[in-house]
Amino acid sequence: MFKEERYYLDLFQVTKEQLAALACKGLGEGGSYCDLFFENTTYHDLLLRDGIVSSGGFHIDYGVGIRVLKGDRTGYAYSESTDSKSMAEAVMAASKIAMGSSSSNMVKPECPAATAESILASLRLSTADGTGHLRHATVKIEDFYPYVNDWREAEASQFVPSLEKLQQSISSRDSRVLKVIVSLSDQVSDIMMFNSLGELTFDSRPMGTLAVSVVFSQDGRIENKTVSRSYRTGNEMISEALLEEIAAEAVSGIDERFGARRPKGGQMPVVMGAGASGILLHEAMGHAFEADFNRKGQSIFSGRIGQKVCNEDISIVDDGTIKGNRGAVNFDDEGVRGQKTFMVRNGVLESYLHDRISAAHFGVSPTGNGRRESFRYAPIPRMRATYMLSGSAEKEGIISSVKKGIYVDQFSNGQVQIGEGDFTFFVKSGFLIEDGRLTMPVKDINIIGNGPQALADIIAVGNDLKVDEGAWTCGKGQSCPVSCGIPTVLIKNLTVGGE
Amino acid sequence: MEEINGILREEEIRLAHECIGRALSLGADKVRITLNKSLMELFGTLNGELDKVNHCLDRSMSICLFVNGRFGSFSTNRLVEEELDNFLSRSIAMVRMLAEDPCRDLPDPSRTCMNAKSGLELGLYDPAYPGINSDMRLKLALDSSIFMNHKGEDLISEEGEYSDSIFDTYVIDSNGLECRHTETSFEYGVEMTVQDAEGNRFSGYWWDSAPVFKDLKALSCGETALQRARAQIGPIKVQGGEYTMVVDSENSSRLLTPVTNALGAFALQQKNSFLLDSLGKKIFPEWMDVIDKPHAAGQTGSRLFDSEGVATRETPVIEGGIIKEYFVNTYMAAKMGIAPTIEDVIRPVIPPCTAPGLERPEKLDRNGIMNMVGEGILVTGFNGGNSNSATGDFSFGVEGFLFKDGKIVHPVREMLITGNLITLWNNLLAAGDDARPCKSKLIPTLAFGKVYFSA
Repeated sequence: MFKEERYYLDLFQVTKEQLAALACKGLGEGGSYCDLFFENTTYHDLLLRDGIVSSGGFHIDYGVGIRVLKGDRTGYAYSESTDSKSMAEAVMAASKIAMGSSSSNMVKPECPAATAESILASLRLSTADGTGHLRHATVKIEDFYPYVNDWREAEASQFVPSLEKLQQSISSRDSRVLKVIVSLSDQVSDIMMFNSLGELTFDSRPMGTLAVSVVFSQDGRIENKTVSRSYRTGNEMISEALLEEIAAEAVSGIDERFGARRPKGGQMPVVMGAGASGILLHEAMGHAFEADFNRKGQSIFSGRIGQKVCNEDISIVDDGTIKGNRGAVNFDDEGVRGQKTFMVRNGVLESYLHDRISAAHFGVSPTGNGRRESFRYAPIPRMRATYMLSGSAEKEGIISSVKKGIYVDQFSNGQVQIGEGDFTFFVKSGFLIEDGRLTMPVKDINIIGNGPQALADIIAVGNDLKVDEGAWTCGKGQSCPVSCGIPTVLIKNLTVGGE
Repeated sequence: MEEINGILREEEIRLAHECIGRALSLGADKVRITLNKSLMELFGTLNGELDKVNHCLDRSMSICLFVNGRFGSFSTNRLVEEELDNFLSRSIAMVRMLAEDPCRDLPDPSRTCMNAKSGLELGLYDPAYPGINSDMRLKLALDSSIFMNHKGEDLISEEGEYSDSIFDTYVIDSNGLECRHTETSFEYGVEMTVQDAEGNRFSGYWWDSAPVFKDLKALSCGETALQRARAQIGPIKVQGGEYTMVVDSENSSRLLTPVTNALGAFALQQKNSFLLDSLGKKIFPEWMDVIDKPHAAGQTGSRLFDSEGVATRETPVIEGGIIKEYFVNTYMAAKMGIAPTIEDVIRPVIPPCTAPGLERPEKLDRNGIMNMVGEGILVTGFNGGNSNSATGDFSFGVEGFLFKDGKIVHPVREMLITGNLITLWNNLLAAGDDARPCKSKLIPTLAFGKVYFSA
């Protein structure tokens, strides 16, 4: 959501003249680019445990991050105060990057390329309509997360009945339910960005996450299950339909979980169920497509732009434009417009995921993937919502084509080694496939493979793309909300953990 | 102590005390306030050239409020005197909307820490810290690079980071608690990526850290990381099956963490622990001990108090295979009807040991243990995986080396280990004497028998 320009300037207690002067100061030691990222985030949380909502709170995080670039190099500092003195100190700390690593780089330029006046002049050209927008943009910007009810204006008491109802609904559905924890967390971030190109950008980003953790007991054995939903939207997300959906999912598949066993491990075909199996794309391909790894030559996909990397039926995108999606961005954290980026189109590697640094390095436009956890971190290339486009196969046909393998549909986490390309993901539940049919339920197994090989080994793509709506968070030195999705796919060979 | 960035100032401490009084006057029955302040400076290099500089100064106040039998937790980094009244009023109003919970309380004063007044008691603050400047940091980061020494070889990229930080925390409550912890930390880490003749990439990482600048061993990290990267060239896939597994001391804590998590009251109270009802019972082999040693002066990870201000103490966690300690904070103790301890393990240590029937070598480090067990798989890295907190079933991705006759034969990759944590630890063959002092968990090289590898 966008608010008026005045709202952001007042919130952060700065003027446009100050912004221009700070950006100019950031270039004063020889930097080539400077940007400022202002953030005011309010978090709320409520927790139901043992049947009562007896824990809650809110948290305020406010500050400004200042970045100075010298070519590919980054100087970064932040301040938790936006008074002039604190911001000036942060600018000076960030501009140390221009000190360089050799004496020749330590010579201070006599005249910075930009002056505060020239930056300000550029700014004035670009902010005539007073809305969040790119420089020179005159068209109205589409909002990827419009919301009705601001989380910050709601009282905690408004949500307590919903949490209690969700707990009761889960408990009433299955007599094996032993414990239920329900948590509601929300946040709204007001963001203002300015850079030495004169680009001034605003954004207000909501996020609500409702999650349950359920413990079941049967014949002295314990099993657990977690379910979450997370959206960039206002508190209108808390609805009867959502509570019903979460409650139903929380108790589904418990018979199978108690009956599940570890399969015999080894290499076998793996059918990835539609939706959360998109973790495969995130770990096996997405990270290796982040252009900082490629700029440094560390990724297994380095130097492979334009090459065929998989079956021509496969297209993989990273998308910041899905309305209300956890990975949606009106602008990334460098002020670049959110967009949909084809990483692989019809089997050919089309684009890495770029921030401004890597885009300049490769001589391409940034793709809106420059993201950060908060003002405390410099932006780096990060995914948004990563998914594979639908193919033409039917799910049932894919499963029935497998003589012996495994079908997986629920996951908890994954990881990748960028250089080697080896990725893993942890499967909470799935089934053995025997003679084309789902048979014994399986659980708690890790699956490992190699990114390029797994991509090349996808031999069937379903027509049932689903983007998962769980609370996925990517950790790459800093946390970032993302989402993932995939249609049902068949990978002809992965290593499955087992006994 | 002289006033430097990253150290709490008198006026910030005064503000915290004032907030206790204000919260009580606004209707709170009890209050705990935690002030945190830290400063981190980082100089990163890419291929021997300066690549990034970070300056990170953080300050925040966390407030736990107990109001009419209700509880809430709040924080802000806006330590602006005029805004705090409003912040406290809103916080108290929110707490009043929550359900009563008679189990919420501050810790009994008799359990709280009395001997952490200056923050310097554990010797984790380096007096040389204020004298370290940007030039010194840059020089150390650049001097630690070995990229130019190996240019033209198989090295594709070297990414190094030197950082130092100072962290100051101050905890007070309305029962009179007052304790402080101040520490410095100096760290260097480097990742090397190499390429084989076919263009396959392999990466290796190594790091060191110390509370005192002069103890940091940065200059040797690059060669170690490069050696770790090169050692992975030419991996093979081995046959799946049962192997003896040796896990090096860089990675072994990964296997203890789910055990100590399962001894935490938050998991136990929710019945979401595979170590339910295990206190006082023999769960693990009699040669296995885990001791919490939080008072080691000058050692990374030491702490005199937990987040409630409860005094830590040296205590056996597992002794002779018997569970001796649950980690129970004040709230969970009341809910479970048991005595409180501390909220979490602070600095776990596994002493050296060998299983009966194994001849203990003179040196019980990684090589000594590999020689002792003869053959198996040496794990030098985990790649993803997880464990089920309710059952203890685990599955982890691993990488490392096949070894025979105590000697490394081949790198291996794309392997998984699968099993149950109780079974795994009952197959403990040895714990070494080579825990890395730069880590807060002092877990040495470990060896386990009968571990199932999928490949």
